[in-house]
Amino acid sequence: MADFIQLLVNGLAIGSVYALAAIGFVIVYSATGVVNFAAGQFVMFGTFAGVVTLINAQLPWSVAYGAALAIMALFGALFFITVYLPLRRGSIVTIIIGTVAVGIIMQNAALLSFGSWPFRLPSPLEDRVVNLGGAIISTHALGVVGVTALMVAGLWVLFNRTSVGIGMRAVAQDLQAAKLMGLKVNRLLALSWVLAAVLAGVAGLMLGPMWFADVNMGDPIALKAFAATIIGGFGSLPGAIVGGLFVGLSEVLGASYVSSAYKDLISFGIMILFLLVRPQGVFGEKIQDRG
Amino acid sequence: MGFTRKDFLGSMIAATMLSLTGAAHGQQAEPVLIGATVPMTGPLSLTGKQYQNSLTMAEEDINKAGGINGRPIKVVFEDTQASNGTAVNAFVKLAQETKPSFFFLSSYSTQNLAVAPELKKVQVPAMYAGGADAVADGGNEWMFRIRPADSVSAEGMVKAAVDVIKAKKPGILYIQNDFGQGGAQTAAKRLEAAGIPVVGMEAYGQNDKDFSAQLLSLRSKGADTILIFNYPQDGALVLRQAKVLGFKMPLVTSSAALVPAALQLLSPADLEGVWGVTDAFMDASVGGRMKDYVERFKAKFGIDPDPYGLAYYDGAFLMAEGMRKVGTDAKALREWLAAVKGWQGIGHVYSYDAKGNGVRDLAVVKAKAGTKTLELVQPVTLN
Repeated sequence: MADFIQLLVNGLAIGSVYALAAIGFVIVYSATGVVNFAAGQFVMFGTFAGVVTLINAQLPWSVAYGAALAIMALFGALFFITVYLPLRRGSIVTIIIGTVAVGIIMQNAALLSFGSWPFRLPSPLEDRVVNLGGAIISTHALGVVGVTALMVAGLWVLFNRTSVGIGMRAVAQDLQAAKLMGLKVNRLLALSWVLAAVLAGVAGLMLGPMWFADVNMGDPIALKAFAATIIGGFGSLPGAIVGGLFVGLSEVLGASYVSSAYKDLISFGIMILFLLVRPQGVFGEKIQDRG
Repeated sequence: MGFTRKDFLGSMIAATMLSLTGAAHGQQAEPVLIGATVPMTGPLSLTGKQYQNSLTMAEEDINKAGGINGRPIKVVFEDTQASNGTAVNAFVKLAQETKPSFFFLSSYSTQNLAVAPELKKVQVPAMYAGGADAVADGGNEWMFRIRPADSVSAEGMVKAAVDVIKAKKPGILYIQNDFGQGGAQTAAKRLEAAGIPVVGMEAYGQNDKDFSAQLLSLRSKGADTILIFNYPQDGALVLRQAKVLGFKMPLVTSSAALVPAALQLLSPADLEGVWGVTDAFMDASVGGRMKDYVERFKAKFGIDPDPYGLAYYDGAFLMAEGMRKVGTDAKALREWLAAVKGWQGIGHVYSYDAKGNGVRDLAVVKAKAGTKTLELVQPVTLN
């Protein structure tokens, strides 16, 4: 039982990070119709923003985290201006390939700037553990689950209780109608990219102490977040959360109770099954005009 | 006094001699080209940069010592990234455009296996540092290994578990590729032969970041020691997670978890109860040529050297000695290398067998209590 609790918390912690990356995917996709293939590199940039503020600049925790997220917000705005805006009149495929290209550039820029050696990003909870029914649980893992829950709650408030969030949903649903209603569409689209980058930043800051900060960490995250989005439903925020947690849990529990050698087969096998049987995912609506 | 025919002939002979001498000087200055296909970008660059650095240092040192009978060597690098296809392309590009007299291939067995057929076509001797026994078993007479084979490392790990730790119920955790699977199977067979069968074997993927399921599974099967076949970063992560999960049992890692790139990710507490097998015990306290290499490498590149890089440095000096003795003719150089016995490098003693395996010595190490400084537990030489 103790082992199960340990696995459950680890699975939820990893799933939470996948969920945040998947939410970033979904926010951008819903608002712009673009599948951001640089999403994994966004998370990697978030981790390295932490390297800059926590390790290089040695800032206090709260200032360092705030500065790292501010850097990510700025990066999201820059991405919108320099990548999305120039390409938006092109086909969706052009923009998608643009995100792939920028992802490669981001990875190599990080390699040139930080080198190939990974960093150990500290956590305010460091190596503290708690004993839950005989299970030794990392407080950082518990913290990751808690922060993700707070972020999700914050997003719910943003999208349901604030005019900005409701405006973003309106843009996501019908861009032309939103324009006709007088909404500042470009500003709201930019906000989508900023929000996705900040969420990736949060995921990156939480992931750094668990995985080490490494310029190649983006690709595996993007793959898992993509699987989470497919399973949960493309365009669905609850779907991204459920999908992320599902992938994290299936990875850890599958490795323990089925086979460690084939654990990825479980989550990706289920993703393929969804693509074949229920392509809209668990929460997605059956819409034919995007994909 | 006029310009006689004799004067004219004399001046012509002098001019011809001068031009011939000049040509000879030009030939002497012509560098001996060495091709090196190493992972300089991507996840494998963690170790790839080390042997790029050590080959650069070897090039400088060999040239300072007079090069190859007066000719300098020039190492031309191509990036293999973390892809077998890119490794093959990098090799073919060097073979066709640079036409080097010698190759250094990467330390990743899968890349070595991918490049081996191309090397056989080119017929130029090459040194490689991939550990998989499958590379040597392929029977490519142009390939010479400069590190212990994985079976040798696995035997060293088994010796550490059985002789030093006195394990009774060992478990094995391995990275799922040629290196990890081969090492794990060899270790399991050796343990079985020693009357200590493994209680469980667990695998993980090269990109995996969470190993709690595998570690807990081995613990629940009653493992009292875990042998880990890993690459640098995942090795460090396994050790960290074992500590966070409250593991007290001894862990025996393969060499990659104890290279400087991995050690800098760990705290002294993470290394408690950790033994490791490294290719060579690298510390300035060893003295002599090792001290000189360790100190100069650190001063030049600002990072600690690792045993993989040292193997390439040794390999470059072995190659240079062969070239000085038999020249750069590929066949003659290959035959000279195949006959090398007891060549004393900094990290190893090199003696090549029929399969091109040159190294059978390594070291069992452990971190000094409360520090990250490795100390030698025992050297291991296998027959």
